Amino acid sequence: MYAWLYRHLPGPHRLRPLVAAALLLIVVSLLTFLVFPAVEAALPNGKVTMGS
Amino acid sequence: MTGAARSGAPAQRRPLPEGAGLPARGGAGPDGAGPGGFGPRHRRTLGAGRVWIGRLARGGGELLITAGVVVALFLGYQLWATNLLAGRTQDRLHHQLEQTWSRPAPAPPGSGAPRMAVPPLPAVPLGDGVAILRVPRLGRDYAPVVVEGVSAADLRRGPGHIPGTAMPGQIGNFVVSGHRTTYGKPFNRLDELKVGDALVVEVRDRYYTYRVTGSEVVTPNRLDVTYPVPKRPGVAPTKSLLTLTTCHPKYSASHRLVVYGGLVGVTEKSAGLPPALAAG
Repeated sequence: MYAWLYRHLPGPHRLRPLVAAALLLIVVSLLTFLVFPAVEAALPNGKVTMGS
Repeated sequence: MTGAARSGAPAQRRPLPEGAGLPARGGAGPDGAGPGGFGPRHRRTLGAGRVWIGRLARGGGELLITAGVVVALFLGYQLWATNLLAGRTQDRLHHQLEQTWSRPAPAPPGSGAPRMAVPPLPAVPLGDGVAILRVPRLGRDYAPVVVEGVSAADLRRGPGHIPGTAMPGQIGNFVVSGHRTTYGKPFNRLDELKVGDALVVEVRDRYYTYRVTGSEVVTPNRLDVTYPVPKRPGVAPTKSLLTLTTCHPKYSASHRLVVYGGLVGVTEKSAGLPPALAAG
């Protein structure tokens, strides 16, 4: 999967590591700022008030 | 390429099974519909199938590894990044409170008489700092800013004052909920508090010193611990109380740890630190 992705990255050969790193950064940011806060709401350790 | 390499292996092994061990190859029927007629083609499809199985296995493995990495990232986010975020937010809140408190107080509605009976609608916008909580038992540096509100967003900023419950020092119950394990984990060590421990709530011009009167672990549905007089519905409060709640056990939502306190002293800031802080 990742080998296939890497082969299909755009750009010249030498720039591919950079493109791959940028993609990785985008994915990690999406996870951190969108996915994780959403998942967090379903976790038990954030429930600290009464009546829930 | 891999197919050629694979088909090479059985060819070398051919002498070993003496024919009987390889029915597909040995059982070449004259009708052509038998295994023999399918032999070479069958082997080829098997080779292609193996390639696909290999690809699927590799893809699946990569997905599993990815899932593991994502879970690890999430743990890092929860147990480390949220504390970092909350730390910064708390620094900002401290700064904001200092600025707000350095400006002259807005004129209270009505006269200058102390507002005691009915807590006004949040005098502080949701998410903004209400007071600074100091607990000598938890260390000199323990001074989280309590924010107004207990929504998920408010609690990310700091322990939250439940809107509608009494404000610090007012008659009634000043109820504060806070995170136990994430976002700066302000109430992580609430279980270490003992009866008699000081809980100092710093507001604009004074310190309210409460003392711990007790603590208990209850189920989450026990809204009554937040009543003006905890667990006494409908009873009009006559004292200033404080209730802190957090989750219990750590990382779980099954119960809540509740710490109760009562007001024992008020110290004007012009008179210096309250005894509980000065001694510690």
